[in-house]
Amino acid sequence: MASPKKTSGPVIKELVVINRLGIHARPAALFVKVSSKFQSSITVEKDGEQINGKSIMGLMMLAAGLGARLTLIIDGPDAEAALRELEELFKNKFNED
Amino acid sequence: MGEKNPSIPVITVERFYLNHAEKLQLKLLAGGAGLSRRILEGSVNRPGLALAGFYKYFAFKRVQVIGGAEWEFLHSLDDHELTKRIEAMLKAKIPCLIFARNVNPPDSVLQICDKYQVPLFKTKIVTMKFINAATISLEMEFAPQVSEFGSMVDILGIGVLIRGESGIGKSESVLALLERGYSLVSDDVTRIRLLEGRELIGTSSETTRYHMEIRGLGIINVPAVFGVASVRPEKNVNLVVTLMDWGKMEQEVDRIGIEQQSYTILGIALPHVMIPVRPGRDIARLIQVAALDQKLKSLGHNAAREFNERLIERMRTRG
Repeated sequence: MASPKKTSGPVIKELVVINRLGIHARPAALFVKVSSKFQSSITVEKDGEQINGKSIMGLMMLAAGLGARLTLIIDGPDAEAALRELEELFKNKFNED
Repeated sequence: MGEKNPSIPVITVERFYLNHAEKLQLKLLAGGAGLSRRILEGSVNRPGLALAGFYKYFAFKRVQVIGGAEWEFLHSLDDHELTKRIEAMLKAKIPCLIFARNVNPPDSVLQICDKYQVPLFKTKIVTMKFINAATISLEMEFAPQVSEFGSMVDILGIGVLIRGESGIGKSESVLALLERGYSLVSDDVTRIRLLEGRELIGTSSETTRYHMEIRGLGIINVPAVFGVASVRPEKNVNLVVTLMDWGKMEQEVDRIGIEQQSYTILGIALPHVMIPVRPGRDIARLIQVAALDQKLKSLGHNAAREFNERLIERMRTRG
Protein backbone atom coordinates (compact mmCIF):
# COMPACT_ATOMS: atom_id res chain seq x y z
CA MET A 1 0.00 0.00 0.00
CA ALA A 2 1.43 3.35 -1.03
CA SER A 3 1.61 5.50 2.05
CA PRO A 4 -0.53 8.60 1.57
CA LYS A 5 1.03 11.93 2.19
CA LYS A 6 0.68 12.81 5.83
CA THR A 7 -0.15 16.43 6.46
CA SER A 8 1.58 17.95 9.38
CA GLY A 9 -0.81 18.01 12.35
CA PRO A 10 -4.59 17.66 12.36
CA VAL A 11 -7.00 19.39 9.97
CA ILE A 12 -9.29 21.72 11.90
CA LYS A 13 -12.44 23.34 10.59
CA GLU A 14 -15.50 24.97 12.08
CA LEU A 15 -18.83 24.01 10.52
CA VAL A 16 -22.31 25.40 11.15
CA VAL A 17 -25.40 23.23 11.39
CA ILE A 18 -27.90 24.54 8.84
CA ASN A 19 -30.56 21.85 8.73
CA ARG A 20 -33.72 22.78 10.57
CA LEU A 21 -33.87 19.90 13.07
CA GLY A 22 -30.18 19.90 13.91
CA ILE A 23 -28.07 16.81 14.39
CA HIS A 24 -30.70 14.36 15.60
CA ALA A 25 -30.60 10.59 15.18
CA ARG A 26 -30.71 10.38 11.40
CA PRO A 27 -28.03 13.01 10.65
CA ALA A 28 -25.89 11.55 13.44
CA ALA A 29 -26.11 8.10 11.86
CA LEU A 30 -25.26 9.60 8.47
CA PHE A 31 -22.28 11.46 9.91
CA VAL A 32 -20.95 8.28 11.51
CA LYS A 33 -21.55 6.27 8.36
CA VAL A 34 -19.24 8.68 6.52
CA SER A 35 -16.69 9.25 9.29
CA SER A 36 -16.30 5.50 9.88
CA LYS A 37 -15.04 5.03 6.34
CA PHE A 38 -11.88 6.96 7.19
CA GLN A 39 -8.79 5.87 8.99
CA SER A 40 -8.19 9.27 10.54
CA SER A 41 -9.35 10.02 14.04
CA ILE A 42 -12.26 12.43 13.95
CA THR A 43 -13.10 14.55 16.94
CA VAL A 44 -16.08 16.89 17.12
CA GLU A 45 -16.08 19.78 19.55
CA LYS A 46 -18.96 21.96 20.68
CA ASP A 47 -18.75 24.54 23.46
CA GLY A 48 -15.53 22.99 24.74
CA GLU A 49 -16.94 19.47 24.82
CA GLN A 50 -15.18 16.92 22.64
CA ILE A 51 -16.59 13.65 21.39
CA ASN A 52 -15.50 10.88 19.02
CA GLY A 53 -16.92 11.61 15.57
CA LYS A 54 -17.45 7.91 14.95
CA SER A 55 -19.95 7.57 17.80
CA ILE A 56 -23.64 8.14 17.19
CA MET A 57 -24.43 8.55 20.87
CA GLY A 58 -21.57 11.01 21.21
CA LEU A 59 -22.84 13.18 18.39
CA MET A 60 -26.36 13.21 19.72
CA MET A 61 -25.05 14.13 23.16
CA LEU A 62 -23.77 17.39 21.71
CA ALA A 63 -27.38 18.35 20.92
CA ALA A 64 -26.21 20.47 18.02
CA GLY A 65 -29.31 22.33 16.88
CA LEU A 66 -29.84 24.72 13.98
CA GLY A 67 -27.04 27.31 13.99
CA ALA A 68 -24.74 25.38 16.31
CA ARG A 69 -21.03 25.67 15.57
CA LEU A 70 -19.05 22.46 15.57
CA THR A 71 -15.30 22.18 15.28
CA LEU A 72 -14.02 19.14 13.43
CA ILE A 73 -10.55 18.00 14.36
CA ILE A 74 -9.38 15.34 11.95
CA ASP A 75 -6.03 13.69 12.29
CA GLY A 76 -4.64 11.02 10.01
CA PRO A 77 -3.57 10.12 6.50
CA ASP A 78 -6.98 10.70 4.90
CA ALA A 79 -7.93 13.75 6.95
CA GLU A 80 -8.44 16.05 3.94
CA ALA A 81 -10.78 13.65 2.19
CA ALA A 82 -12.73 13.06 5.40
CA LEU A 83 -13.18 16.78 5.92
CA ARG A 84 -14.36 17.22 2.33
CA GLU A 85 -17.04 14.56 2.64
CA LEU A 86 -18.22 15.66 6.08
CA GLU A 87 -18.35 19.29 5.01
CA GLU A 88 -20.47 18.19 2.07
CA LEU A 89 -22.94 16.57 4.50
CA PHE A 90 -23.33 19.81 6.44
CA LYS A 91 -23.79 21.80 3.20
CA ASN A 92 -26.42 19.37 1.96
CA LYS A 93 -28.29 19.71 5.27
CA PHE A 94 -27.79 15.94 5.77
CA ASN A 95 -30.23 15.42 2.89
CA GLU A 96 -33.00 16.90 4.98
CA ASP A 97 -35.32 19.97 4.84
CA MET B 1 -39.05 -9.87 0.94
CA GLY B 2 -38.87 -13.51 1.84
CA GLU B 3 -42.21 -14.27 0.29
CA LYS B 4 -42.67 -17.89 -0.65
CA ASN B 5 -45.59 -19.68 -2.16
CA PRO B 6 -47.59 -21.38 0.52
CA SER B 7 -48.00 -25.09 0.06
CA ILE B 8 -51.55 -26.15 -0.63
CA PRO B 9 -52.20 -28.88 1.86
CA VAL B 10 -53.66 -32.17 0.68
CA ILE B 11 -56.35 -33.11 3.15
CA THR B 12 -57.62 -36.64 2.93
CA VAL B 13 -60.61 -37.90 4.86
CA GLU B 14 -58.15 -40.13 6.71
CA ARG B 15 -56.08 -37.18 7.87
CA PHE B 16 -59.18 -35.32 8.97
CA TYR B 17 -60.40 -38.44 10.78
CA LEU B 18 -57.06 -39.21 12.47
CA ASN B 19 -56.48 -35.66 13.64
CA HIS B 20 -59.97 -34.83 14.81
CA ALA B 21 -61.83 -38.07 15.54
CA GLU B 22 -61.52 -37.60 19.27
CA LYS B 23 -62.59 -33.98 19.45
CA LEU B 24 -65.42 -34.46 16.96
CA GLN B 25 -66.34 -37.87 18.42
CA LEU B 26 -66.31 -39.45 14.99
CA LYS B 27 -66.93 -43.15 14.58
CA LEU B 28 -66.30 -44.83 11.25
CA LEU B 29 -69.26 -47.01 10.28
CA ALA B 30 -68.57 -47.96 6.66
CA GLY B 31 -66.69 -47.05 3.51
CA GLY B 32 -63.24 -47.39 5.09
CA ALA B 33 -61.80 -48.21 1.69
CA GLY B 34 -62.42 -44.61 0.68
CA LEU B 35 -60.43 -42.92 3.45
CA SER B 36 -57.90 -41.74 0.89
CA ARG B 37 -60.55 -39.47 -0.69
CA ARG B 38 -59.58 -35.82 -0.63
CA ILE B 39 -61.55 -33.06 1.02
CA LEU B 40 -61.27 -30.32 -1.59
CA GLU B 41 -62.92 -27.54 0.36
CA GLY B 42 -62.30 -26.87 4.01
CA SER B 43 -65.90 -26.55 5.01
CA VAL B 44 -69.01 -28.55 5.82
CA ASN B 45 -72.28 -28.76 3.91
CA ARG B 46 -75.75 -29.85 4.89
CA PRO B 47 -77.06 -31.58 1.79
CA GLY B 48 -80.76 -30.97 2.30
CA LEU B 49 -81.41 -29.74 -1.23
CA ALA B 50 -79.33 -32.51 -2.77
CA LEU B 51 -81.30 -35.13 -0.87
CA ALA B 52 -84.47 -33.52 -2.19
CA GLY B 53 -83.12 -34.05 -5.69
CA PHE B 54 -81.60 -30.66 -6.52
CA TYR B 55 -78.10 -31.14 -7.92
CA LYS B 56 -77.72 -28.05 -10.07
CA TYR B 57 -75.72 -26.47 -7.30
CA PHE B 58 -74.18 -28.89 -4.86
CA ALA B 59 -71.10 -28.26 -2.73
CA PHE B 60 -69.83 -31.81 -3.29
CA LYS B 61 -66.22 -30.88 -2.41
CA ARG B 62 -67.13 -30.42 1.23
CA VAL B 63 -67.74 -32.77 4.11
CA GLN B 64 -71.45 -33.64 4.07
CA VAL B 65 -73.34 -33.61 7.35
CA ILE B 66 -76.75 -35.15 7.89
CA GLY B 67 -78.38 -33.26 10.74
CA GLY B 68 -81.79 -33.44 12.33
CA ALA B 69 -83.67 -31.86 9.45
CA GLU B 70 -82.04 -34.02 6.77
CA TRP B 71 -82.59 -37.11 8.84
CA GLU B 72 -86.27 -36.35 9.46
CA PHE B 73 -86.68 -35.93 5.72
CA LEU B 74 -84.86 -39.17 4.84
CA HIS B 75 -86.74 -40.98 7.57
CA SER B 76 -90.05 -39.98 5.98
CA LEU B 77 -89.09 -41.88 2.81
CA ASP B 78 -89.36 -45.62 2.38
CA ASP B 79 -86.16 -47.63 2.60
CA HIS B 80 -85.74 -48.02 -1.14
CA GLU B 81 -86.18 -44.30 -1.83
CA LEU B 82 -83.88 -43.35 1.07
CA THR B 83 -81.09 -45.51 -0.32
CA LYS B 84 -81.62 -44.08 -3.79
CA ARG B 85 -81.29 -40.50 -2.51
CA ILE B 86 -78.11 -41.32 -0.63
CA GLU B 87 -76.71 -43.16 -3.63
CA ALA B 88 -77.28 -40.12 -5.85
CA MET B 89 -75.21 -38.07 -3.41
CA LEU B 90 -72.42 -40.64 -3.23
CA LYS B 91 -72.20 -40.59 -7.01
CA ALA B 92 -71.54 -36.86 -6.84
CA LYS B 93 -68.06 -37.66 -5.48
CA ILE B 94 -68.43 -36.30 -1.99
CA PRO B 95 -65.43 -36.87 0.32
CA CYS B 96 -67.40 -38.38 3.19
CA LEU B 97 -70.76 -38.47 4.91
CA ILE B 98 -71.39 -37.81 8.59
CA PHE B 99 -74.55 -38.49 10.58
CA ALA B 100 -74.82 -36.12 13.53
CA ARG B 101 -76.75 -36.26 16.84
CA ASN B 102 -76.04 -39.96 17.28
CA VAL B 103 -78.34 -41.11 14.48
CA ASN B 104 -77.74 -44.68 13.38
CA PRO B 105 -78.11 -44.85 9.60
CA PRO B 106 -79.91 -47.96 8.34
CA ASP B 107 -77.86 -50.93 7.11
CA SER B 108 -78.77 -50.18 3.52
CA VAL B 109 -76.85 -46.87 3.82
CA LEU B 110 -73.83 -48.65 5.31
CA GLN B 111 -73.84 -51.12 2.44
CA ILE B 112 -74.08 -48.48 -0.24
CA CYS B 113 -71.25 -46.45 1.34
CA ASP B 114 -69.10 -49.58 1.28
CA LYS B 115 -70.06 -50.14 -2.35
CA TYR B 116 -69.12 -46.60 -3.44
CA GLN B 117 -66.19 -46.49 -1.04
CA VAL B 118 -67.29 -43.28 0.63
CA PRO B 119 -66.43 -43.12 4.35
CA LEU B 120 -69.49 -42.95 6.56
CA PHE B 121 -69.22 -41.63 10.10
CA LYS B 122 -71.51 -40.87 12.95
CA THR B 123 -71.03 -38.49 15.83
CA LYS B 124 -72.80 -38.04 19.15
CA ILE B 125 -72.57 -34.28 18.96
CA VAL B 126 -75.69 -32.30 18.02
CA THR B 127 -75.63 -30.86 14.52
CA MET B 128 -74.97 -27.17 15.15
CA LYS B 129 -72.21 -27.82 17.64
CA PHE B 130 -70.70 -30.40 15.38
CA ILE B 131 -70.72 -28.04 12.42
CA ASN B 132 -68.98 -25.33 14.42
CA ALA B 133 -66.34 -27.69 15.72
CA ALA B 134 -65.80 -29.36 12.35
CA THR B 135 -65.46 -25.97 10.63
CA ILE B 136 -62.72 -24.95 13.05
CA SER B 137 -60.96 -28.30 12.60
CA LEU B 138 -61.11 -28.02 8.83
CA GLU B 139 -59.92 -24.43 8.92
CA MET B 140 -56.87 -25.56 10.88
CA GLU B 141 -56.14 -28.30 8.35
CA PHE B 142 -56.57 -25.94 5.42
CA ALA B 143 -54.60 -23.02 6.88
CA PRO B 144 -51.93 -21.96 4.37
CA GLN B 145 -48.47 -22.83 5.55
CA VAL B 146 -44.82 -22.43 4.63
CA SER B 147 -41.52 -23.68 5.94
CA GLU B 148 -39.05 -20.99 6.90
CA PHE B 149 -35.40 -21.80 7.31
CA GLY B 150 -34.77 -20.66 10.81
CA SER B 151 -35.10 -21.63 14.43
CA MET B 152 -37.83 -20.34 16.65
CA VAL B 153 -37.63 -19.45 20.31
CA ASP B 154 -40.18 -18.04 22.74
CA ILE B 155 -38.58 -15.18 24.67
CA LEU B 156 -40.90 -14.05 27.46
CA GLY B 157 -43.95 -14.39 25.26
CA ILE B 158 -42.34 -12.95 22.14
CA GLY B 159 -42.09 -15.59 19.43
CA VAL B 160 -38.80 -14.96 17.64
CA LEU B 161 -37.90 -16.57 14.34
CA ILE B 162 -34.11 -16.62 14.00
CA ARG B 163 -32.94 -16.74 10.39
CA GLY B 164 -29.50 -16.80 8.85
CA GLU B 165 -27.19 -18.79 6.62
CA SER B 166 -26.19 -22.18 7.91
CA GLY B 167 -23.09 -22.03 10.05
CA ILE B 168 -23.67 -18.45 11.12
CA GLY B 169 -24.50 -19.50 14.64
CA LYS B 170 -28.26 -19.90 14.84
CA SER B 171 -28.18 -23.08 16.87
CA GLU B 172 -25.50 -21.72 19.21
CA SER B 173 -27.62 -18.63 19.85
CA VAL B 174 -30.65 -20.80 20.48
CA LEU B 175 -28.68 -22.90 22.97
CA ALA B 176 -27.60 -19.78 24.83
CA LEU B 177 -31.22 -18.59 24.92
CA LEU B 178 -32.39 -21.96 26.27
CA GLU B 179 -29.73 -21.69 28.94
CA ARG B 180 -31.23 -18.39 29.98
CA GLY B 181 -34.55 -20.10 30.50
CA TYR B 182 -36.38 -19.36 27.26
CA SER B 183 -38.07 -22.11 25.31
CA LEU B 184 -37.49 -23.76 21.97
CA VAL B 185 -40.28 -23.99 19.42
CA SER B 186 -38.32 -25.33 16.48
CA ASP B 187 -34.72 -25.88 15.40
CA ASP B 188 -33.49 -25.03 11.93
CA VAL B 189 -36.79 -25.32 10.05
CA THR B 190 -39.99 -23.76 11.32
CA ARG B 191 -43.43 -24.60 9.96
CA ILE B 192 -45.56 -21.50 9.91
CA ARG B 193 -49.28 -21.47 9.29
CA LEU B 194 -51.63 -18.58 8.88
CA LEU B 195 -54.65 -18.73 11.15
CA GLU B 196 -57.79 -16.84 10.22
CA GLY B 197 -55.79 -14.78 7.78
CA ARG B 198 -54.10 -12.71 10.46
CA GLU B 199 -52.10 -14.76 12.94
CA LEU B 200 -48.88 -16.63 12.16
CA ILE B 201 -48.26 -19.74 14.22
CA GLY B 202 -44.83 -21.34 14.23
CA THR B 203 -44.27 -24.97 15.06
CA SER B 204 -41.77 -27.72 14.29
CA SER B 205 -42.23 -30.79 12.21
CA GLU B 206 -43.37 -33.65 14.39
CA THR B 207 -40.34 -35.80 13.64
CA THR B 208 -37.76 -33.26 14.79
CA ARG B 209 -39.81 -31.70 17.58
CA TYR B 210 -37.88 -30.94 20.79
CA HIS B 211 -34.57 -31.93 19.23
CA MET B 212 -31.65 -29.89 18.00
CA GLU B 213 -28.68 -30.68 15.86
CA ILE B 214 -25.49 -29.02 17.06
CA ARG B 215 -22.30 -29.19 15.05
CA GLY B 216 -19.84 -31.27 17.00
CA LEU B 217 -22.40 -32.56 19.46
CA GLY B 218 -24.88 -34.27 17.20
CA ILE B 219 -28.57 -34.52 18.02
CA ILE B 220 -29.61 -33.49 21.50
CA ASN B 221 -32.93 -33.92 23.24
CA VAL B 222 -33.77 -30.44 24.49
CA PRO B 223 -36.22 -31.19 27.36
CA ALA B 224 -33.90 -33.96 28.59
CA VAL B 225 -30.99 -31.51 28.79
CA PHE B 226 -32.75 -28.28 29.76
CA GLY B 227 -35.95 -29.48 31.41
CA VAL B 228 -39.55 -29.55 30.26
CA ALA B 229 -39.96 -25.80 30.53
CA SER B 230 -37.42 -25.40 27.73
CA VAL B 231 -39.79 -26.45 24.96
CA ARG B 232 -43.19 -25.56 23.64
CA PRO B 233 -45.06 -27.10 20.72
CA GLU B 234 -46.15 -23.88 19.04
CA LYS B 235 -46.11 -20.12 19.42
CA ASN B 236 -47.29 -17.18 17.38
CA VAL B 237 -44.48 -15.42 15.57
CA ASN B 238 -43.95 -11.80 16.66
CA LEU B 239 -40.44 -10.95 15.48
CA VAL B 240 -38.00 -12.03 12.81
CA VAL B 241 -34.28 -11.74 13.52
CA THR B 242 -31.84 -12.30 10.68
CA LEU B 243 -28.22 -12.98 11.53
CA MET B 244 -25.84 -11.74 8.84
CA ASP B 245 -22.15 -11.99 8.24
CA TRP B 246 -20.60 -8.69 9.33
CA GLY B 247 -18.50 -8.51 6.17
CA LYS B 248 -21.30 -9.47 3.79
CA MET B 249 -23.93 -7.01 4.96
CA GLU B 250 -25.26 -5.64 1.70
CA GLN B 251 -27.42 -2.98 3.15
CA GLU B 252 -26.48 -0.54 5.83
CA VAL B 253 -27.11 -1.79 9.33
CA ASP B 254 -29.79 0.16 11.10
CA ARG B 255 -27.98 2.14 13.74
CA ILE B 256 -30.97 3.98 15.13
CA GLY B 257 -34.01 1.74 15.01
CA ILE B 258 -36.61 4.40 14.31
CA GLU B 259 -37.72 2.83 11.06
CA GLN B 260 -39.33 -0.54 11.61
CA GLN B 261 -38.04 -3.05 9.07
CA SER B 262 -40.38 -5.86 8.12
CA TYR B 263 -40.27 -9.42 6.83
CA THR B 264 -43.31 -10.88 5.14
CA ILE B 265 -44.54 -14.40 5.74
CA LEU B 266 -47.78 -15.60 4.12
CA GLY B 267 -48.72 -11.99 3.41
CA ILE B 268 -48.26 -10.84 7.01
CA ALA B 269 -45.52 -8.26 7.63
CA LEU B 270 -43.58 -9.00 10.80
CA PRO B 271 -41.11 -6.69 12.55
CA HIS B 272 -37.63 -7.55 11.35
CA VAL B 273 -34.23 -6.94 12.93
CA MET B 274 -30.95 -7.62 11.16
CA ILE B 275 -27.99 -8.39 13.39
CA PRO B 276 -24.46 -8.41 11.98
CA VAL B 277 -22.51 -11.32 13.39
CA ARG B 278 -18.82 -11.39 14.12
CA PRO B 279 -16.68 -13.25 16.60
CA GLY B 280 -17.00 -11.94 20.10
CA ARG B 281 -20.53 -10.59 19.76
CA ASP B 282 -22.93 -12.21 22.15
CA ILE B 283 -25.66 -12.89 19.62
CA ALA B 284 -28.01 -14.55 22.08
CA ARG B 285 -27.97 -11.44 24.25
CA LEU B 286 -28.64 -9.25 21.21
CA ILE B 287 -31.59 -11.42 20.21
CA GLN B 288 -32.90 -11.31 23.76
CA VAL B 289 -32.73 -7.52 23.85
CA ALA B 290 -34.31 -7.28 20.38
CA ALA B 291 -37.22 -9.37 21.67
CA LEU B 292 -37.61 -7.23 24.79
CA ASP B 293 -37.44 -4.04 22.72
CA GLN B 294 -40.11 -5.52 20.46
CA LYS B 295 -42.26 -6.15 23.51
CA LEU B 296 -41.80 -2.51 24.46
CA LYS B 297 -42.80 -1.45 20.95
CA SER B 298 -45.88 -3.63 21.07
CA LEU B 299 -46.82 -1.77 24.25
CA GLY B 300 -46.55 1.47 22.29
CA HIS B 301 -43.05 2.60 23.21
CA ASN B 302 -40.51 3.16 20.44
CA ALA B 303 -37.40 3.97 22.43
CA ALA B 304 -35.47 5.27 19.42
CA ARG B 305 -38.27 7.55 18.26
CA GLU B 306 -38.96 8.89 21.75
CA PHE B 307 -35.27 9.52 22.30
CA ASN B 308 -34.99 11.39 19.03
CA GLU B 309 -38.08 13.49 19.69
CA ARG B 310 -36.65 14.53 23.04
CA LEU B 311 -33.33 15.37 21.40
CA ILE B 312 -34.94 17.51 18.70
CA GLU B 313 -37.09 19.29 21.27
CA ARG B 314 -34.02 19.99 23.39
CA MET B 315 -32.08 21.41 20.44
CA ARG B 316 -35.04 23.58 19.48
CA THR B 317 -35.57 25.12 22.88
CA ARG B 318 -31.89 25.77 23.43
CA GLY B 319 -31.81 27.61 20.11
